[in-house]
Amino acid sequence: MGFRMDVERFDELLTELQKNYRIYAPVLLKGKGRYSETDTIRYAEINSIKDVVFDKKSVFSPKEVILPITQTLFYFTEDNVIEPKVDEKNILIFLRSCDIHAVKRLDEIYLRNRFADSYYAALRTKVKFVLMECEKSFENCFCVSMGSNRTDEYDLFVRLEDGKVYVESKNETFDGLFKDEENAEVSPKFVLENETVVKIPENLDQRVFKSKMWDEYDERCIACGRCNFVCGTCACFTMQDIFYKDNPNAGERRRVWASCMVDGFTDMAGGHSFRKKYGERMRFKVMHKVYDFNKRFGYHMCVGCGRCDDICPEYISFANAVNKLNDAMKEVE
Amino acid sequence: MENVYIPFSSRILEIKQHTDIDYTFKMEYRGEVKPGQFFEVSIPKYGEAPISVCEIGDGYVALTIRRVGVVTNEIHNMKVGDRLFMRGPYGNGFDIDIYKGKEIIVAAGGTGLAPVKGIVDYFASHPEEAKSFNVLMGFKSPKDILFRESIENWSKTIQTTLTVDRADEGYTGNTGLITNYVKTVEIENADEAQVIVVGPPIMMKFTVQEFINRGIKEENIWVSYERKMCCGVGKCGHCKIDDTYICLDGPVFNFTQAKHLVD
Amino acid sequence: MLDINTKQLKKNAFRITKERGKTAVRIRVPGGNMHVKFFSVIQEIAEKYGNGTVHITTRQGFEIPGIDMKNMPDINKMLQPIIDGLEINQEAPGCGYPASGTRNISACVGNAYCPYGNYNTGELAKKIEKAVFPHDRHVKIAVTGCPNDCIKARMQDFGIIGMTEPQYDPYRCVGCQACVKNCKKRATGALKFENFKVVRDHSKCIGCGECVIKCPTGAWTRSEEKYYKLVIMGRTGKKNPRIAQDFIKWADEESVIKIILNTYEYIEEYIDKEAYQGKEHIGYIVDRTGYQEFKKWALKDVNLGPKAEVAQTINW
Ligand SMILES: Cc1cc2nc3c(=O)[nH]c(=O)nc-3n(C[C@H](O)[C@H](O)[C@H](O)COP(=O)(O)OP(=O)(O)OC[C@H]3O[C@@H](n4cnc5c(N)ncnc54)[C@H](O)[C@@H]3O)c2cc1C
Ligand code: SF4
Ligand code: SF4
Ligand code: SF4
Ligand code: SF4
Ligand code: SF4
Ligand code: FES
Repeated sequence: MGFRMDVERFDELLTELQKNYRIYAPVLLKGKGRYSETDTIRYAEINSIKDVVFDKKSVFSPKEVILPITQTLFYFTEDNVIEPKVDEKNILIFLRSCDIHAVKRLDEIYLRNRFADSYYAALRTKVKFVLMECEKSFENCFCVSMGSNRTDEYDLFVRLEDGKVYVESKNETFDGLFKDEENAEVSPKFVLENETVVKIPENLDQRVFKSKMWDEYDERCIACGRCNFVCGTCACFTMQDIFYKDNPNAGERRRVWASCMVDGFTDMAGGHSFRKKYGERMRFKVMHKVYDFNKRFGYHMCVGCGRCDDICPEYISFANAVNKLNDAMKEVE
Repeated sequence: MENVYIPFSSRILEIKQHTDIDYTFKMEYRGEVKPGQFFEVSIPKYGEAPISVCEIGDGYVALTIRRVGVVTNEIHNMKVGDRLFMRGPYGNGFDIDIYKGKEIIVAAGGTGLAPVKGIVDYFASHPEEAKSFNVLMGFKSPKDILFRESIENWSKTIQTTLTVDRADEGYTGNTGLITNYVKTVEIENADEAQVIVVGPPIMMKFTVQEFINRGIKEENIWVSYERKMCCGVGKCGHCKIDDTYICLDGPVFNFTQAKHLVD
Repeated sequence: MLDINTKQLKKNAFRITKERGKTAVRIRVPGGNMHVKFFSVIQEIAEKYGNGTVHITTRQGFEIPGIDMKNMPDINKMLQPIIDGLEINQEAPGCGYPASGTRNISACVGNAYCPYGNYNTGELAKKIEKAVFPHDRHVKIAVTGCPNDCIKARMQDFGIIGMTEPQYDPYRCVGCQACVKNCKKRATGALKFENFKVVRDHSKCIGCGECVIKCPTGAWTRSEEKYYKLVIMGRTGKKNPRIAQDFIKWADEESVIKIILNTYEYIEEYIDKEAYQGKEHIGYIVDRTGYQEFKKWALKDVNLGPKAEVAQTINW
């Protein structure tokens, strides 16, 4: 069902929704960019549709809403283990088609893959998606190649156009909320082509490990992990135990995001580690995204959001690395 | 939904010191567990460490823990009656049925003996269930030898070969790398013999190669892998190699599969 | 017949050269950045009145040599569009530069496009120029975006070095230690990794912002406020060349400008009236009166912010 209303009215309804929901969307953070007097776009709670940045891609993906960067698993006291309380409110996330596809990948790892993760599940079950449309492809996007350019797995679709808000509701939970609004035909447009096109070789397999294509990344990559941290599908974390300085008897166990590009990811006792070369790490990441996740779960991990290419300080293009796999396979065959 | 990260607390029933840095902790435990599986053992505020079960008994599991860092240090400070936190068991473990009735050779290097000790224990007390059972054990030096008592007991029912890489003059036991003993170990029927190899990466690589040279079929060779692990439940990604999660699909692998595990 | 008041000539930003009757004119470009349209003026002067060349000065000005002294009035007229365009304070249009003692305020590119720059150096240079120029007292000021000090602010009487106070969001920190390692390697080792989070030692931090640049998750960001380190009394020259030393850390812009203005009053009070040609370089005056006296004058009516730290003593 579609509706049309002005911004003020939509914001009233947003306030109404806030009684039961925390509402997250990509917002502009002034001066919070990496460099002086630069801004950044990240996910944060909003109070008005005017806070939402529609016309640019967020630097970080929405995954941080359901997979917090730092998450306390439990607190220790002298001899007790206490789980943190879960916020009662539900969650609405404004996000794009590729991002919705990315959440499916996180679900695969966190809800399935043998064990279900109760922390993830607790947040995930609260989430409803508000689709944002991409009027046209952004730089570095290759969602069409990865088949994540369209979706119908959203609860609401919201478009802001000429001071009016157009809403499509696909979830009856929200029917009551919009019932008095003017009816309108509303449905999202999807991007049908990207400037960046990625082709994963059909015969791709482990033989490509031997290709020379990885060598250049030994020099180029600085193993900073930005490409993983901005990615909506990277799911890795590391556990940390801490004690409180002011009360050494108490502490907490928590997890933080991890990156397979960053030193320490494979460190074992005795100083042994794997994939010391950055080119090997690049290979490991690329293969996870477009080969071995697929081998395990039946579809590719990468959704083509292009954030990894947007962020790399060394101008390494993941998309181009994937395309290079074609020649690399010919090289090793 | 069950929270898989919440550990249970378990009492230390007994501590045995093997070397300066290797202790075995007998932990209170009731439940299903197989040799080759592991627990995430933790001390709150210090962290968790994946540790293989090395002995399974009535109401207990034994864990042999080498002191190498933060958590293992702290564990070594514990006393009988203290409590450790554990979760698990995780991983596939060894499937004893595969080996029953066969000619079995186990080659273990250093602490690699811990994860296979359960299997050796089993066949040492049920020698009739194997056609033959031979365990080759390599340690760096005489002072690094683990499970001396068990080894002595095993030698009553199964064949044991103990070697150290190097020893001071006067040492009367075997010396030299374990691979040398693989070269000469008696193999009756190479087509059917089952081989288990566990130890440091380099040792595993060369030992497996030696067994293949001896005509053992790849599908009859079993190895156990160790990788950095944080969760043990297929989430954290640290242990993944290709599409394989060592914590879920391993740590025990048939060599036909293991040979494709390229980090 | 040439009858030239050389003092006037020098004050007017011309110079006496080796060749009798020939002069060179200096064009000041505060912040070292200007529209290229002014190049045509420089070109025209050099081709028509000079020897067809231009020297790019260390202070980021242009100096056009080979000009006949008698053409100075024409040159001054021709310079007017540049003087207007760069908004240089002037006493009367068409008369060129009213002073040359206080030199061009030079600047590195700053945050205009350098990733390390902590503020807009060009703007600050212009602001200072507006506040202090014209002045006959020989004072050298340069502003630089970060402690890399590409403009060599530490060779000046006043060097202004951009700082940011890094803001840490422990929630966003994944403990990769990129910031810690980098601060140790490239800055001052102000960061420590403790209990899986990062702790910053403010007393060691030079506000370079490297940590903000290196952090892959945006756990470090820049403070809303911009801060400056004011380093003073560096100099080149024949007598005791030396590097400028830290005077105030974490100062605000307004205070910095006020301090520079106060310094002119201090100079008037203490300059050696017997000095050769009435010129004494500020650094030597401070050497004479001592740092404490300078400090007293410099900080008069200055409201430094709560973060500012003033050096107790300075040993150059
Ligand atoms: C499946 C499996 C079974 C194991 N079984 C045994 C066993 O039976 N006995 C035994 O003594 N050890 C065993 N280990 C190794 C043991 O887990 C590590 O020695 C232990 O985690 C080190 O922890 P620490 O806190 O004392 O050291 P730390 O101070 O944390 O770390 C020292 C080094 O160990 C690395 N490390 C930290 N956590 C792990 C981890 N989870 N896995 C591997 N390396 C890690 C660190 O990155 C660091 O380089 C096993 C490991 C695995 C993966
Ligand atoms: S590919 Fe780029 S973003 Fe990723 S780790 Fe390397 S340098 Fe950093
Ligand atoms: S790998 Fe790059 S393009 Fe693919 S989902 Fe991750 S960030 Fe997006
Ligand atoms: S690419 Fe690396 S960080 Fe991302 S999910 Fe895969 S292993 Fe984890
Ligand atoms: S601003 Fe510079 S000196 Fe201060 S903590 Fe960051 S990197 Fe270190
Ligand atoms: S660089 Fe950022 S994420 Fe890494 S340790 Fe420093 S603050 Fe934390
Ligand atoms: S240990 Fe976390 S995925 Fe295997």
